[in-house]
Formats: sequence, structure tokens, C-alpha cells
Amino acid sequence: MATQTFAKGTHPSADDPHVLVEDDYAFYEPIPPYPPRTEREAEFYTLGDGEMFLNMGPQHPSTHGVLRVVLKLDGERVVDIDPVLGYLHRGVEKLVENADYHQTISQVDPLEYISSLFCEWAPVTAYEKLLDVEVPRRAEYIRVLSGELNRISSHALFMGWFALDLGGLTPILWSFIERDEIVEMLAALTGQRMLFNYFRIGGVNGDLNHEFLSRLGDWMSRAVGQVEANTKLLNENEIFVRRASGLGVVDQETAIRLCMTGANLRATGIPFDLRRTHPYSIYPELEFDIPTRSEGDSLARYLLRMEEVKQSLRIIDQCLDKMPDGPIMAKLPRLLRPRPGRAWAAVEGPRGVYGAYAISDGTDQPFRLKIHDPSFIHLQAVGALLPGNLLADTMAIMASLDPVMGGVDK
Amino acid sequence: MDRGLARRLEARFEGALHGQARQRHDQTEIRIGAGDVIEVLRALNDEPELAFTMLVDLAGVDTGAEMQVVYHLWSATTSDWLRVIVEGLSRDDPRIASVTFLWPGAEWMERETYDMFGITFEGNRDLRRIYMPPDYTSFPLRKDFYLPDDAARSPGAGVRHVERTHSPVDAAPGVMRRTGA
Repeated sequence: MATQTFAKGTHPSADDPHVLVEDDYAFYEPIPPYPPRTEREAEFYTLGDGEMFLNMGPQHPSTHGVLRVVLKLDGERVVDIDPVLGYLHRGVEKLVENADYHQTISQVDPLEYISSLFCEWAPVTAYEKLLDVEVPRRAEYIRVLSGELNRISSHALFMGWFALDLGGLTPILWSFIERDEIVEMLAALTGQRMLFNYFRIGGVNGDLNHEFLSRLGDWMSRAVGQVEANTKLLNENEIFVRRASGLGVVDQETAIRLCMTGANLRATGIPFDLRRTHPYSIYPELEFDIPTRSEGDSLARYLLRMEEVKQSLRIIDQCLDKMPDGPIMAKLPRLLRPRPGRAWAAVEGPRGVYGAYAISDGTDQPFRLKIHDPSFIHLQAVGALLPGNLLADTMAIMASLDPVMGGVDK
Repeated sequence: MDRGLARRLEARFEGALHGQARQRHDQTEIRIGAGDVIEVLRALNDEPELAFTMLVDLAGVDTGAEMQVVYHLWSATTSDWLRVIVEGLSRDDPRIASVTFLWPGAEWMERETYDMFGITFEGNRDLRRIYMPPDYTSFPLRKDFYLPDDAARSPGAGVRHVERTHSPVDAAPGVMRRTGA
């Protein structure tokens, strides 16, 4: 597209307030206006016979955030993609180096805004390892309880999103009923619907209260039936099943080499779930299964997440049953100064492994905090799964891997 | 803590390790030099008694004196996380071999580390900035990159920047200096 560009203020209608002037940077040309920096970039931005570029985003509604993807197309087949990140980059890793240990919890919270509790869980656990703190058992139970609720609400949103990206509007309306109920009860517990800021170093911020427990009890009495009803909407839909099966297939070896984790890895048949393979918190005391599937396609990833919802309900049941009495916070000074050292902690979130690598230099601020987010890895995998598929499958494959741009862009 | 793992690693990589393997909580840590990255990681991945096939994280670290690249690996053969710290990269021109030949999924992690620290991963096919815009020239997570409003470190100096009437006199043009430090 050839657009005539004007320097700022030189457009003929620049002085006329009734004329809307679009600045030249409002157009997203697929080809970057600078020479290629790497061989891969040069190769991507060279068109072969019959190929064309298509720019998608960054405001595309089904990119799950602000993502821009440059697609190289041959007819309607995708040849290659080049995701352009950074539209949501907030520099959290730099900000936490300038905040004290307690403040960092609220800084890392908005990274993954769909399942914030897991974003808090990993760094908090890493800090506890730095400080050699033992977390009270009641706090661990509350963490697992709220975390599994968060997992269900995240998977509910995934179900809606995935169907929406395949062209079905109804499921997201239904799944939001359950998600809304869960975020409301988490709001009763933590004070916030989305960015909970609930976990603390050495425990949690508040004890279970009446409103949370009554809402939870009410919901749990009908949750299994509701989940069944919601999943039936899609699982028995022939259009959905035939569209999603065989789409974006990944095998075991490729999945490991692409560093994939979570449900996307388990959909290939590898039972890798940190709750069992590297147990943390109180998960060794709880009974639940790690469902796996062998197909490795989009449908398998969807069905697996729905299975996980049922396992999470089992875990919540047991947490409520076994919930011990006692304190919810370990005794710690207000100002934390861990002795110099390094700690890594990882938890199993709804999208995969959330990790945090914390380095202390003996002051009250972390020297370095590296956040590992599974969405980042899974978005990268889209580039490996997509070539050869149709343009319309781009979003379907991306949605089945379930990346969230807040986590991708840190 | 898996004592056997530390012994196995020390016996296997005797020449490459800097010091002994350290262990704390559920982590085992080994330190190597930049020249041994390919050899050590390939052995960790390939040999069945180690089988660290999963690269879970790759992080850059600027200690202020040198650059480091840190790998976190997982294996079914041990109950520990393995942390491989590659130390001693120069801050002026940090260079290290890429591990994308083992894990293509490390490509973006290396791009991120390059973007934030300026560490060059030799062998990465696509080493360009990933978060920051292409015309950006700094490496934000380096320790000599200060935030313009460094409020947490200097209470009072950075918080009410609206009320400050002048910029720090010693700030060179275009250089953002930490105020009040």
C-alpha cells in the first residue's frame, strides 16, 4: 500500500479540526522500514513465487491481547509467520529490582492477568527458599484451594476463547457464568476480581471468610453438573470436533524440544505435571490424576483442559475436607533481607510451568528476578505448528495453545 | 536434595566445573565457563544417566562485574532442579554459544536475554530484539541502566518529580541518572 506521508503539521488539512488526519505510523506495513538484522529476518521478508504478506494485529480481537503477527501466505496456506512482540512490555523485571520484596508481589501480579495467583506463587516460593521460611500448613491449603479455583476460572475462559476463535459465540457466554462466580468468590477472599495480590512471603494475606466459604459451598454443590453441561456444548458438537481434531499436531519429541509444558505437553502423552513430577506445597498429600492424551492436536489440548477442571474440583473438595487450623502467616520481620543466594521455584499453572529465579545480594530488594512464563514459549511454538495450515486456522491453533499476551510480554 | 546427583556431576564434568556443585533446598547448582557450554549441555541432555531433556528456563544475569547465563533443567532421574551457571562473560562483549541446536525452543529465550542484556548467542539464527523497538540502543536490565524515577531507592528524591524544578546538573545529555544517589 503506497501512502503519501507528511511531516507533522504539514498535511494540507492539519489546521482543519473537522478533518481526521491519520498519521503515517497508524498503518502497519508488514515489511519493516529498516534493513534485515538477521539472516532469518532477511529470509522471512523475501517473497517467493506467488507469496504475499499479510499483517494481523496488533489490535486484532482474537490475538488474546496485543500481538502483531506478520503472515507469509501462499494462496490461503500459511508459509511462515513472524510474531512481533513488545506492545505490552512493561519492564516488570526491571521494576522489581527497584522495589522491596513485598512490593514485587503486586508488580508481578498483572503479568498473567487470567491466572494471577500462579504469577505470585512462583516468586513467593522462591523468596521463601531464599529466606528458609516454613509456610504454615493452613496457608498452604488456602494457596492450593485458591490456586485450583483460579485454574478452573482460567480454563473456563480458555474454553470460551477457543470456541470463539473457531467461530462459536455461545460457549463464551456460558463459560463466563462459571468464571464470574469464581472470580466473585475469589474477590470475597482476596479483595480483587482479577489481580488478586493475595499471596505473601510466608503465607497469605487473609484468612478464609464466611462469604467466600458460603459462595464456594454453594457453587461446589452444582459445579460438576455445570462443568458437564458446559463441556457437552462443545464435546458433542460435530462441527467443533471435526474442525479441531488433527489441527496443529505436535509430537512428543518436538514438544520437548520446543520447551513446551503444561497441558500442551501432556496432550502429546507425556505426563509432566510439576504437582506430581516435582511436588511442592501440599500436593503430595492430595489425591488426583494427571490426565494425558496421545493425539497432540487442538482437540486433545481442549479435552485435556476440561479433564483438568474435574481434577481441580477433586482437589478443592479435599482441601475443604482437610483444611487444618492454625496461623496463615509465618513470623517474619517487616523488612526482609535474605542472605545472599539464589533460588529457583516453579509451579504448575493452568498454562504450564511458571518459574521464578530470584537472586539476593543481602539488601531489601531483589538483585534479579527472572520470571518464566509458559505463554512466551507456547507462542513461539505457534511458528512451528502453523506452516502448511490455512489462514483461518492461525487463530484456532494459537487459541488451543492458550497463550496470554500479558505473560508473553512481561 | 540429591547428594548422588552432585557426586555424579562432579565425576562426569571434572575438568569443566568451576568449584564444587552446590546444593540448597531442591536445587543443585554447577558453574562452568563459556567455552564448555555446548559440551556440558549436550552431555546433560544425551547421557541416559543424566537425561536432562527439559530446558525449563534460560536467564541472563548482570552481576555488575560480569555477565552470566543461567539454565534451569529438569530430569526424571533426579528429584532436584539443575541450575547451570555459565559465568565469566565480559560485560563489554558478552558472547556465548547458542543452545538452539538442542532446544529450538530456546530461540526466543535467547532473544529476550540478548534484548535485555546484550549477550550475543552465537549460532542463534534469529538474534534480534524481541520486546524493545528495533531502533532502541540500550540494554535495560544491565545494572548500569538506571530508571529515570528511581523512587524506591531514594525516597523523596524520585517520588515527587513533578515538584522538582530542575534536572540533576551532572546528568549528561541523554543519560538517565539515578537521582539522589
